[in-house]
Amino acid sequence: MKAIEAAGLRQRFGTRTVLGPLDLSLESGDSLAVLGENGSGKTTLLRLLATAARPAGGELRLFGLDATRERTELRRRIGYLGDVAGHYPALSALENLEFFCDLQGVERARAPRLLEQVGLAAVARRRAGQLSRGMAQRLGLARALLHAPELLVLDEPDAGLDEEGRGLLEKLVEGRSLVLATHDRQLAGQLCRHTLDLSQRALEAYQ
Amino acid sequence: MSFLRVAAAVARKDLRTELRSRETLPALGQFVVLALLIANFGFDVETGGAKVAPGVLWLTVTFAGLVAFGRTFASERDQASLEPLLLTPASRSAIFAGKALAAALVLVACEVVLVPALGLFFNTPVFSLELAAALVLATIGMAGLGCLFAALAAQTRARDLLLPVLALPLWVPFVVVGGRAVQVALGGGGSLNGALALLLDFDILFVVVASLAAKFVLDD
Repeated sequence: MKAIEAAGLRQRFGTRTVLGPLDLSLESGDSLAVLGENGSGKTTLLRLLATAARPAGGELRLFGLDATRERTELRRRIGYLGDVAGHYPALSALENLEFFCDLQGVERARAPRLLEQVGLAAVARRRAGQLSRGMAQRLGLARALLHAPELLVLDEPDAGLDEEGRGLLEKLVEGRSLVLATHDRQLAGQLCRHTLDLSQRALEAYQ
Repeated sequence: MSFLRVAAAVARKDLRTELRSRETLPALGQFVVLALLIANFGFDVETGGAKVAPGVLWLTVTFAGLVAFGRTFASERDQASLEPLLLTPASRSAIFAGKALAAALVLVACEVVLVPALGLFFNTPVFSLELAAALVLATIGMAGLGCLFAALAAQTRARDLLLPVLALPLWVPFVVVGGRAVQVALGGGGSLNGALALLLDFDILFVVVASLAAKFVLDD
């Protein structure tokens, strides 16, 4: 089954086209790294794939479902970490995850297990606002994985992560469909089988 | 995933955040006391305190409500947590209900400060079941509408201006009927039961409409 099928996918802010038209296909279990300079549309594409935004044109199907009409079902199957983690600073790391367990409809017992997996068990009771950038990024990864999603959509997941964290990232994404945006070609090669370069140069060369 | 589980989780999260960060409640408590203090100097309390007290009460509740309800979605926007919240499969109406419940409880906490302070400044009864019933009933409906418009306004840059413009006209029924109920509770003439029944009708109408509309407002 295809995890992603996009045909003529476009996004526009006002009158300015910021993405596409773009055709894209990714098999279930496969991985894609989205590369490109600042402003090339990486985050825009990832937000469309995560159902955080509606496309201005074209067709987007995820796991065979229409990404604009069947968003609730798709959100059970997609884990997304945006460019800003967006935790609740007054809640502890554990409380942040337990809250999302309630919203995702999964057992709260998953929260401590996930914290263990991302190496945050020791700071589970520390408020999210007091976590370092790298720790907050790990907590964001744990939140994205909380409901065992089939497709992971990660926007610069290595931001703030140390060497150990980058190694952990490799383990966490294993066995899932993955789309990630990054500026780091080495990380892209490590984690993904395919790459999509949205930079102007690459598009011009393609045309 | 039940409606109640999601609504309870959102309300618990908002209240826990407020209790720990103390962003809204202390400021609102202070605002309530200062508003009454200013009104105390502005009106002739010796001869007409009981007459102006209901008006002062509702003005204070209205402006405290704008702040309390405005913060519900603005804080999510500010800390970039609205997107992760809305990218869960949880029902929009349940998320909205949880946020409205938490904001209503914050406003009720303010009213717990407001009523005794009103008694102190305007010589009105400090404990009155009728007064409490009118305030709680009005707060429920105002929270439904206020949080709906707060969700709408949070998506714009001019949210602080937009919320009063949208909410105040639709709060008028609560202020008019609530004002009448409070006048009766403070010893004026008229039917208290009639006013409370009307407030209950408004609550049912506006809470249902707001919950249905929230589904669309919270969807991008």
